[in-house]
Amino acid sequence: MTAGGPSIDELRRQAERLGVSPTDADLEQVQGFLAVVLPAFAELEELVAPGDTPAGVFRPEVEP
Amino acid sequence: VSLARLAERLRGGELSPREAVASYLERIERLDGELNSYIAVRADEALAEADALERRSDSRGPLYGVPVAVKDVIDVEGVATTAASRILADNVPATSATVVERLRSAGAIVLGKLNTHEFAYGAMTTSQHFGPAHNPWATDHICGGSSGGSGACAAAELAAGTLGTDTAGSIRIPSSFNGVTGVRPTHGLVSNAGVVPVAWSFDTVGPIARSAEDCALLLEVIAGSDPRDPTTARGTRGPYAAALADGIDGLRVGVVRALFERDIDPPVAEAVKASLDGLRDAGARLTDVEIDLFDRFGTIQQAMQFVEAASVHSGWLRTRLADYGPDVRARLLAGLFLPPTTYTLGQRARRLAYAAFERVFAEVDVLVAPTMPVTAPLIGDDTVEIAGTRVVYRLSLIPFNSPWSLVGAPVVSVPAGFVDGLPVGLALVGPRFGEETVLRAAHAFQRVTDWHGRRPALASGAVT
Repeated sequence: MTAGGPSIDELRRQAERLGVSPTDADLEQVQGFLAVVLPAFAELEELVAPGDTPAGVFRPEVEP
Repeated sequence: VSLARLAERLRGGELSPREAVASYLERIERLDGELNSYIAVRADEALAEADALERRSDSRGPLYGVPVAVKDVIDVEGVATTAASRILADNVPATSATVVERLRSAGAIVLGKLNTHEFAYGAMTTSQHFGPAHNPWATDHICGGSSGGSGACAAAELAAGTLGTDTAGSIRIPSSFNGVTGVRPTHGLVSNAGVVPVAWSFDTVGPIARSAEDCALLLEVIAGSDPRDPTTARGTRGPYAAALADGIDGLRVGVVRALFERDIDPPVAEAVKASLDGLRDAGARLTDVEIDLFDRFGTIQQAMQFVEAASVHSGWLRTRLADYGPDVRARLLAGLFLPPTTYTLGQRARRLAYAAFERVFAEVDVLVAPTMPVTAPLIGDDTVEIAGTRVVYRLSLIPFNSPWSLVGAPVVSVPAGFVDGLPVGLALVGPRFGEETVLRAAHAFQRVTDWHGRRPALASGAVT
């Protein structure tokens, strides 16, 4: 994966491993999405501390 | 005709269920060709159910004979739940969703199934399989989504009330764009059993209707724990409608100033800001608030939603990929390709968001913000103009909708004015399980404003 996100070839190989068969046009759209979201998600890494455990999936542990 | 008044007339015998159903069916026949808000209409079945209801001698429920419609991701026994998709075109459920069972137990009659963005995974309601739903205020504009059919149906009075679903704005967006009132309930308040999922930890079912009072009546019927859905919260909640009259004198309202100032089209911001006088007139005390990490809330929600949605669809992505519309297919695939740590990262950051959200509610009772940064875009246009710049429509709505989904909060969107003839909405956000408070605030707002009473010209003419 490059700094700008995965290449089309990388995405195609990943698709094969996952058992999906997207077209090149699909992969270009996916690449566009990932180019936006991956940097934003990477910034979240800086937000959490090592001791921050996952929240409950559905809602906070305590119900009012 | 509000749902509340219609229900009173039906219970009082002033109107029969058959007359009510026939009246709405006539409107659907006359108007929905232009709107395409319905995917399926149960005309004969609804009339037969109205006749059966009239023959029953037991007590009349709170929604006795009230004609309603539900988004086509919600199961109604014997009617295909298509989710506006090709993949589920022949998916006929043998049982109804819990929310439909509860509506019927209260006496409501289901007129049909409403249009949606494909698999409720998008905010336009322009399914290539079932055609776009049109905004009753300007039919060349979208009605939002994903519960776009529900919003258009409620605005054009093609049912007395509707149900939609909301994962990251899908009730609030069409409520804003169509000038109607919608409630995204607290996550866990309403059962999702028998509802096609988008992303389990954010999915909710809620009402879209003309007023907060109408929504309160619908919500208290459908709310409550359900053994069929392990994500529903224990205990009983509500009632909501009876508490509406208590007023909001002294209610502490926090204005999320950031959402009035950034990434919003200025005329929309001005219209919604002006509407806040309605809350002041009703007795609320308004102060500006800031929420820690708020500008990250949308990203955190997306980190989880992308992965959950891909998980929901992983089987069909392998076997039916070509049957998805291009936009939904691309978003689902993107979720499949994310690094495996993305989801846990989202969950860890979500804990910080919960804490920040709870801190702000130590200072206020309700938060307010614009529901959307723009009015409804033209059909076929996937960009919107914000302060002179074209931005991707899908991205523009995230900061206004995803944050409240992330923290599982209840939100009521109320009509709050117009910009160039198109409606705008005000979002009232409460603490988790604070539906009674946000509905009371929305009702108080609607007692001193008349935006919710405006009707699109297309929908003129008496209902009954």
